[in-house]
Amino acid sequence: MGKDVFEVTVNILKMFVIFLMMVQAVPILVWLERRGSAFIQNRLGPNRIGPLGLLQLLADAVKFLFKQSFVPEKSVAPLYYFAPVMALIPGALAFNSIPLSIPINIQPFEMAGQTWGPYTFAFQGYDLGIGIVFILGISSLAVYGLMMAGWGSSNKYSLMGAVRATAQAISYELALSLSLVGILMVYGTFSFREIVDIQTGPLTFKAFGGEHIVSWLPNWGIFFQPLGALIFFAATFAEANRLPFDLPEAEGELVAGFHTEYAGFNLLLFYIGEYGHMMVASALLATFYFGGYSFPGLNPADVLTYMQSVTGGANSASILTAVVFHLVLLAKVAIFLWIFIHVRWTLPRFRYDHLMSLGWKTMLPWALANACFTAIWMWLGHR
Amino acid sequence: MSPVVAPATASSLLPVIILAVIVVAFGLVIVFGTSLLGPKRTVKSKAQMMPYECGIPGTETNDTKISIKFYLTAILFILFDIEIIFMYPWAIKFLDSIKEGMGGYMLATMGVFVLLFVIGLIWEVKSKALDWK
Amino acid sequence: MPVLSENLLFFILAGLTIFSGLMVILQSNPIFCALALAMTMISIAGIFASLGAWFVAGVQLIVYAGAVMVLFVMVLMLFDLKDEVRAFSRGIVSGFVKIASVGVIGGVVTAAIWMSAETVFPTTPSGLQVSATQSTKQLADLLFKKYIFSFEAMGALLLIIAIGAVALSRIQGGTHADR
Repeated sequence: MGKDVFEVTVNILKMFVIFLMMVQAVPILVWLERRGSAFIQNRLGPNRIGPLGLLQLLADAVKFLFKQSFVPEKSVAPLYYFAPVMALIPGALAFNSIPLSIPINIQPFEMAGQTWGPYTFAFQGYDLGIGIVFILGISSLAVYGLMMAGWGSSNKYSLMGAVRATAQAISYELALSLSLVGILMVYGTFSFREIVDIQTGPLTFKAFGGEHIVSWLPNWGIFFQPLGALIFFAATFAEANRLPFDLPEAEGELVAGFHTEYAGFNLLLFYIGEYGHMMVASALLATFYFGGYSFPGLNPADVLTYMQSVTGGANSASILTAVVFHLVLLAKVAIFLWIFIHVRWTLPRFRYDHLMSLGWKTMLPWALANACFTAIWMWLGHR
Repeated sequence: MSPVVAPATASSLLPVIILAVIVVAFGLVIVFGTSLLGPKRTVKSKAQMMPYECGIPGTETNDTKISIKFYLTAILFILFDIEIIFMYPWAIKFLDSIKEGMGGYMLATMGVFVLLFVIGLIWEVKSKALDWK
Repeated sequence: MPVLSENLLFFILAGLTIFSGLMVILQSNPIFCALALAMTMISIAGIFASLGAWFVAGVQLIVYAGAVMVLFVMVLMLFDLKDEVRAFSRGIVSGFVKIASVGVIGGVVTAAIWMSAETVFPTTPSGLQVSATQSTKQLADLLFKKYIFSFEAMGALLLIIAIGAVALSRIQGGTHADR
C-alpha cells in the first residue's frame, strides 16, 4: 500500500477516483447511446435539455433520485437490495486493475515541516501482477448479481432472465478464457504492464528461421492474434449482455429480464454494472491487442522531456506525460465503446438455440484452434 | 520503457479488499439513501406491490421448473473451465520452454490433453447434449 | 508495516471465511447457505493470494466461486424449496445437528489456529517475493515435468465426467428420453 501516510492516502484516493471515473462515464455513455441510436435510426434523440441534450443526464439522475423505493411483495428483501450492489463490484474491481497510463514519479518535497520522499504512483488502482487471471475470476462473479436479482424479485420474468443470463455468461466465458491462451503464449506473462511494454516498437516476429521487422507497423497483439481478438471481442458482447446477445432482457419475451422489478437508482446500478463491463472489455481489448496506453512513435522519455521544457517542473511534467498516455488509452477505449453501441443498433437479436450453438459449437472450437495454431506456429518459428 | 513497479507481494491484496468495501458502501448508500429521498406512502397500493406480470395474481413464484439443459450446460461449463484453466500455466511457460529446448516436449504434453478435450467436445456435439431444441 | 498488514489481512480473511462458513450451516434458507458458501470460496481465494499463491487464488475464484457455486446456486434457485426450508428450520433433531456441527467446526478451527500459530507468525519474514508470473511458471515446471502423469490422468478423468454427466441427463425422464 505504501511506505507512509501520504502514499497510502493517495493510493486509496486513486482507487476511489478511478471507480468514480467508471461511474461518471455511464451517463455520458447513455447519452451517447441515445443520440447514437437516434442518429442511426434517422431520429433526433434527446436534444432539448442543455446543449445537444447533454443535460438530459442530469435531469434523468434527479428523476431517478426522487423515485419511490419499495420492495415488491413476495420478494426476498436482502437479495433484492443487495443484487444491484453486487452488480457493481466486478466491474469496479476489474477496471481498477488495468493500467491506464504510465506511472507518475513524484520528486521529494516539503510538507508540514517534513520531507516526503520520492514516490512512484502507478496509474491504476492496484498492480497485482496476476492481471488476466484476476479479471477472469472477478468477472465470473458477475453472475451472482444477476441470479440474486432474478431470484430475489420473485417474478417469473426476472427468474427466466437470470437463468438465461447465467447460462449465456458461462457459455461464452469458455470461449473468452480460451481465446486468451494465445495471448498468454505470445507474451508469456500475466501482467498488463509487461504486456503493454512488449507491444511498443515496430512489429517484430520470428518465422521461417529468422527474425523479421516490419518498421511501418506497431508491435500490437492484433497482428499475432487476429482470430483471438475477434473471438474475445464477440465473447465480451455476450458477457456484457449486449445486443445481439441480450436474450436475458429480450423485451418482447421477458419484459426487462432480471431487472424487471427494479426502478430508480437501483436500476441505474445495474446499468453501471453493464456499462462498466463494456468499459473493462474495451480497455482489455486495447491492452491485449492494440498496445494499451502506448502509441506508435510516441516515446514516454521524449514526451517527458518536452513537457519539462514547457512546464519547467519535474512533478508537473511527469503528471502531464501520464495524462497524455492516459488520453491515448481513452481514445482507443472510446473507439471500442462506439463499436459496442453501433453494433447494438445494427444487428438483430439471436434466437436462444442459435446463441448457445454459436458459443459452444463455433466459438469454442475456433478458440481452441486458435490456441493450437499459435502453439505450433511459435514452436516452428522459435525453434 | 516504463519504470518497473515492485512485484505483487502478499499485502498488495489489501487495496482490493479496501476497494471492495468502498464499492459496497457506495452501493448501499445509493440503494438506501435514495429510498429516503423518494416519496413515502403509508398506504401501500396493492397493484404496485404485485409482481410485474400481466395483471392476474401470480400462482407460483420462485419454484419455476426449468429445462435440464441449463444444469447440463453448467456442469459441462465447470469441466471445460477446469481444462482451460490448466492451459494457463502451460501457455505462460511455453515461450520459455522453447528457448530451453523443451518446446517439443511441452507441445506433446498439451497435445495429449487437448486431444482429450477435443474428444469430449466431439462427444458433446454428437450426443446432441449441446442442442437446444 | 508489511508484517502488520499481512497479519491484518490474514485476520480479516480468516474471520470472513469462518463467518461465512458458519452462515452456511446456520442459515435455514438453502439459497443463503449457497451464497454464504460462495463467500467462503472467495475469502479462501483471498487467503491463497495473501500467501503469494496468486494463480491458485485465481483458480479458486474462477473454478469454485465462478463455476461450481454458480451451478449450486442455479440448481437451488430452481427447486421448490418450501419443504426444505420448513424441514430445516424447525425440530429438535435439526437444532441438535446445527449445534453439533457448529461445535465440531469451532473445535477444528481452534485446533487449526493453535497448531498453525508457528506458521502464521513466523519468526523470520517469509522470503516469497517473486512475481505472480514467475510463481506460475514454477508451478508449470512442476505440473508439466514432475507430475505430468497426474496431469494427463486428470484430463482423462474430466473426459469421463463429461461423458457421464451427459449420459445421466439422457436416462429416462431427461430431455432426450424420446431418442
